[in-house]
Amino acid sequence: MLDLLQSASDGVLYGATYALIGIGFTLVFGVMHKINMAYGAASVGGAYLGLMVLKLGAGLPVPLVFFGSFLAGGLLGWMVYLACFHFIPLSSPLATLMSTVGMLLLIDEVIVHTTDGMPQNYPALFDDVMLRFGEFTLRGDLLLVFLVSVACMAGLLALLYRTRLGLATRAVSQQAIAAQLCGIRLAQVNVTTFVITGLLGGIAGAMIGAAVGTLSPLLTTPLTVKGLIVTVIGGLGSVPGAIVAGLLVGGFENVIQLYRGVTERDLYVMLLLFAFLVFRPGGLFAPAGGRN
Amino acid sequence: MDFYFGLAQLIGVHTLLGLSAYVVLLTGQVSLAQAGFFAIGAYVAAMLTVLAGWHLVPALGAAALTGATTACAVGFPALRVKGLMLVIATLAFGEGVRLFFFNFDYQIARGDVKVGPLGGEGFRQIRFFPENGWTTLEVMLFIWIFVLLVMALLWWLDRSRYGAVLRAVGEDELAAQSAGINLTAVKVSAITLGGAIAALGGGLYAHYATHIEHLSFGILLATFAIAYPIVGGLASVFGTLAAVLFVQGFLVEGLRDLGDWRNLLFGALIVLAMNLRPRGFLDAGNLRAIKRLFWGGGRGAP
Repeated sequence: MLDLLQSASDGVLYGATYALIGIGFTLVFGVMHKINMAYGAASVGGAYLGLMVLKLGAGLPVPLVFFGSFLAGGLLGWMVYLACFHFIPLSSPLATLMSTVGMLLLIDEVIVHTTDGMPQNYPALFDDVMLRFGEFTLRGDLLLVFLVSVACMAGLLALLYRTRLGLATRAVSQQAIAAQLCGIRLAQVNVTTFVITGLLGGIAGAMIGAAVGTLSPLLTTPLTVKGLIVTVIGGLGSVPGAIVAGLLVGGFENVIQLYRGVTERDLYVMLLLFAFLVFRPGGLFAPAGGRN
Repeated sequence: MDFYFGLAQLIGVHTLLGLSAYVVLLTGQVSLAQAGFFAIGAYVAAMLTVLAGWHLVPALGAAALTGATTACAVGFPALRVKGLMLVIATLAFGEGVRLFFFNFDYQIARGDVKVGPLGGEGFRQIRFFPENGWTTLEVMLFIWIFVLLVMALLWWLDRSRYGAVLRAVGEDELAAQSAGINLTAVKVSAITLGGAIAALGGGLYAHYATHIEHLSFGILLATFAIAYPIVGGLASVFGTLAAVLFVQGFLVEGLRDLGDWRNLLFGALIVLAMNLRPRGFLDAGNLRAIKRLFWGGGRGAP
C-alpha cells in the first residue's frame, strides 16, 4: 500500500512536466486549430540551449540554466512558427502537420549532430533533499520540478485570464473571425501563442532534464507522445484539462511501472487513452457543445 | 547491381506503406497507425512462413486479412473522434502495437535453434527467400508485382463511384453527409483497405529484411507513411510513388555521401517542400499539365 502511494506521488510530481507539455499542445490547438508536432522536440531543444549557456559561461549559478532554457524555448517557439506556419495557408492542415513533423526530425538531428548523440548531464537541484513522513518520502528534486511547473501554470493562467493579451488569445480560440472583426490582429496572437508555449516548453524541458538527470535526443519522441495523450485525455483546447490529465498520466504510469515493469508501462498508458476515446471522447474537460 | 535491386525492394515496400496512408488521407483523415498495421503484417506473415511452414503467398494473404480486421476493429472506436484527435488516437495505437511486439515472445525449437519472435531482440531467421533459392532480382520483381497490383487497384478505385465518395468525404464531410453518404461506413472501409495494404507491405518487408524488431515500426515509420502521400500530393497515386522515389531514392540513397548532414537536410527539406508546395508535388493543376504534355490538349479539360 505504501509502495503504491509512494510511486503514485512520485509520478504525480513528475507528471507536472507532462502537464506543461500538454498545455503547449492545447494552447496552439485552441488558437490555430493545428497541432504543432515539433513542440516536444523544441522543448528538449530549449533545455539543451540552456545547458549550453551554462557550459559556455562556467561559474554561472546553476538556476540560471533554467532561465536560459526558458528564453531559448521561447526563441525556438518563434522559429517553429516562422518555419512551419507563417508561410503556409491556413486552409491546408496537412501541410502544417507535415512541416512540423519535418521540424521535429530537424531539431532531433541538430541535437544528435551537435552532441554526437551522447546524453548530457543535467544539473539537478536539491537532489540530496528528502522530505520524510515516516516511511513515506518526497524527493527534493521532484518536488522542485513540481513547484516550478505549478508556478509556471499559475503564471500562464494569470496571463490568460487577467491580461488583455490573454483576453485576445481566448477570443481568437473561441471564434477567430469574430475576434478579427473586433480588431484583434490574428497573426500577432498566433505568434505570441507560439512564443508563450515555447517559453513553457523550455521550462518543461529543463524540468525533465533536472528530474531525469540527463538530456538525450531519445527524450523527444516519448515526450511528444505523452504530451499528445495528455492533451486528448484533458480535452483538446482545455488548459485546466491538460493540467489534471498530466498529473493523472504521470501518477498512473508510475503505478503501472511498479506492478508491470518499465517495458509494459507505456502500453497501459495507450490503453488508458483508448478507454478515454471510447467512453469519453471529448476528454475530461470537454468544451461545451457547439464549438468544433 | 544487387544494391539497386535491394533499393528497388525498399522503394516498393515503402510505396505500399505510402499508398495505405493515401487511401485513408483521401477521406480527409490522418492515420499514424499505418506503421502498426505494417508491423502486424510483418509479424503475422513471418510467423506463418517460419513457424507454420506456409508458402509466402497465402501467408501474405493472411497478413493482409489480419491487418484489415485489426484496422476495421480499431476504426470503429477511433473514428468516433475526427481530425486531430484521430491523429493522436492512431499514433497511440501504432505505439501500442510496437510495444506489444516489444513484449511478445513466442519461440519454438527448430532443430537446435529456437525460432520465432523474442521480445526486444526481435524476430530473426525469416529465411523464406534464401531457403527457396530466390535471387535478389526475383524478390524485387515479386514485390513490384504487388506494388503494381495495388497501384492499379487504387487508380481504378479513384475513377469508380467509391473513389468519388472517398474524395467527397475528404473535401467536406457535412456536404457528403447531406448527400446521403454514410460517413462512418466510408471512413471505416477506407481505413480497412489501408490496413490491408500496409500489412501486405509489412509481410513483404519482413521477408526481404529477414530480421524484424519492434524498433523498425516506430513513430518515424508512421510519419514516413503519411509523409509520402502528403509530400507527393493527393491528386493521384503517382504522387505517392514520386515522393517515395524522392525520399528513399534521392534523400536517403542519393545523398549518402553527405553522411551525417543527410539527416539534417531531410527534416529541413520536408519543411521547405511544405512551404513551397503545401498541396504536394503532384496537385490537381500539375497533374493536368503533365497529362497535356503526354496526351495533347484534348484530355486536359478540368
